[in-house]
Amino acid sequence: MREVERIREALRNSNAEKIVAFVKKENEPREVLAVLSQEEIDRVTFSPLSVNNPAKLLMQLNGKIAVVAKGCDAMAIRQLIKEGKLKRENLFIVGISCKGVANYRKLSKIEKLSKIKEVYLEGDELVLKLENGEKRIPFIEVMEENCLYCRNPTPVIYDVLIGEPRNGITDFRDIEEMEKMSREERWNYWISQFERCIRCHACRSVCPLCYCEECMVDPSNLAISPMSTAEEKASYPRLLGKTVNAKDNAIYHIIRVLHHAGRCSGCGECERACPMELPLRKLERKLEKVVREIFGYDLNEDVPFFSKLDIVGD
Amino acid sequence: MIYEGDFLRDAISKLIAEGYVVFAPVKFKDFHIFREIKSAEEADFDYLLPRNSAKIAVFPENEVLMRYSSWIEEIPIEEKKIAIVGIRACDAKAIKLLDRHFLEGFVDPYYRSRREKLLTIAIACEEAGVNCFCQSFGINPRKPEADVVVLKIGEKLFLKGNSDAGSSFLSKFNLKEESDEESKIRQKFEEEKLEMRKIEVDVEKLKKSFDSSYWKEVAINCKSCGICTYLCPTCFCFDIYDEGESRGVRIRAWDSCQFPLHTLESSSHNPRAEKWQRLRNRFYDKFYYNLRKGDFYCVGCGRCIDFCPAGIDIVDVISGVR
Repeated sequence: MREVERIREALRNSNAEKIVAFVKKENEPREVLAVLSQEEIDRVTFSPLSVNNPAKLLMQLNGKIAVVAKGCDAMAIRQLIKEGKLKRENLFIVGISCKGVANYRKLSKIEKLSKIKEVYLEGDELVLKLENGEKRIPFIEVMEENCLYCRNPTPVIYDVLIGEPRNGITDFRDIEEMEKMSREERWNYWISQFERCIRCHACRSVCPLCYCEECMVDPSNLAISPMSTAEEKASYPRLLGKTVNAKDNAIYHIIRVLHHAGRCSGCGECERACPMELPLRKLERKLEKVVREIFGYDLNEDVPFFSKLDIVGD
Repeated sequence: MIYEGDFLRDAISKLIAEGYVVFAPVKFKDFHIFREIKSAEEADFDYLLPRNSAKIAVFPENEVLMRYSSWIEEIPIEEKKIAIVGIRACDAKAIKLLDRHFLEGFVDPYYRSRREKLLTIAIACEEAGVNCFCQSFGINPRKPEADVVVLKIGEKLFLKGNSDAGSSFLSKFNLKEESDEESKIRQKFEEEKLEMRKIEVDVEKLKKSFDSSYWKEVAINCKSCGICTYLCPTCFCFDIYDEGESRGVRIRAWDSCQFPLHTLESSSHNPRAEKWQRLRNRFYDKFYYNLRKGDFYCVGCGRCIDFCPAGIDIVDVISGVR
């Protein structure tokens, strides 16, 4: 049975009210997340272009939900369960042992997207079914860079697993490379990245762990009520302004990432969404390394990182 | 007219020498961004459409309006000589739309100071991108509404001055008149329709859909980020606020109708508190609210489709309205 048939069958057997899965977008080969009913399961697809993380979408829904989750998606779902944002008993997880996803922007450089009818993996090759004929490219050439460092290609939680379990990468070779740079080189590298940022806040908006209703980069609206005086309103805490320049952007990204200490599931939605292609996962990975080396915390632990920190003291 | 040589780079060098602030596409990794450049070498013209729109030249992300401390320092509004080199027909049309917003009725002095002496040098599109649909709005991607138009046809570089400013700029170069045959080649190139997507807007249907559950369905996967509005060449929303307490700057910065704080009122009421309301607002803005200014506020560049992290597609959304 084809992978997608097995996914559909598992979704049917879930008896869930709502299905969160990938469907093919019109006019383009990419797949997008959709909320479907049982009757719509035949629309479900899955391919190396099923890139997005469904965890954020799950937080908006009620009732019994069946969800298609890759390794990193399952990491995010488990993290949200740990943090009390999702309930395990409401979820039926169709886990996919993931071979990596394709970088859509890279793919668009290889073939005109509107010509691609279907995309699938065959061994180490990505097969593009075109209007006439097909094209085969080594998958590694278009794979998302983030997937090269995937820790959990096989879901850490699932109800049904599709595919054979796969081993992940546990080292930090990319970060170690960056650590070899001198302080000045590193600063110049990051400033040259941050200066492109347009502060659209997409990295925050797509991140399954950035679920705060009040974000530190916005002027806080917590204080507003009809009773607030003008003076109070004028003095809202504003940690960060809207000025767009390399250094302010750096503050924004560094503070945002710090809030993910011991939490980032590694799905790479931030990097994928970024229209300016900032290497945001490198910040997250550096933080993960620090959390592991200094605090001895592993993301696969059942207890949230923050609850293990003795921040109150004796 | 025909130019022998690298016109775009020669034009940039001349503009910089004449004191222009020049915006042009700069290559990063394998994509392009419009930004201010200091020399012709920084620009790269092997692109279809830069990620951001050319609006930054006339409507920057941030603009300091005044400085304050125990005194107030007004920042004088200076007339600037700005040039955009390498603009496409969609972005050029978008600037005409921004003009209506910023210059008709109340005249925005900051916008005017950048716009008045703006010189645009456009490149006619050879082909369309996957999500281009500018022709649906009567835009001809090979006849951009810019001061100077550059057409690369085969090995030849054709130049056209569309305005007095454009013609007088071109008069500074050694140009060869087109032969009759060359004119025919150019005209044929200009009239050729490109294969691209189409959008059909039914304004009446859109108006009636205001309370439809359709918008909730479309918005289910929307992340409420600012990509669509910040990359959009016709989005013009901004916010004015002070940065710094006892001393600081008053700036105007881009804002997005997709952010919940955009419409938060000081009474704590938010007329568009839900993301589906904000998403609906974007489509109403593009195809209905701004009709009072005489046009749709979409030029079919397709950036919002290409870069929406949720795959929300303006063409599909509009054609599916119910």
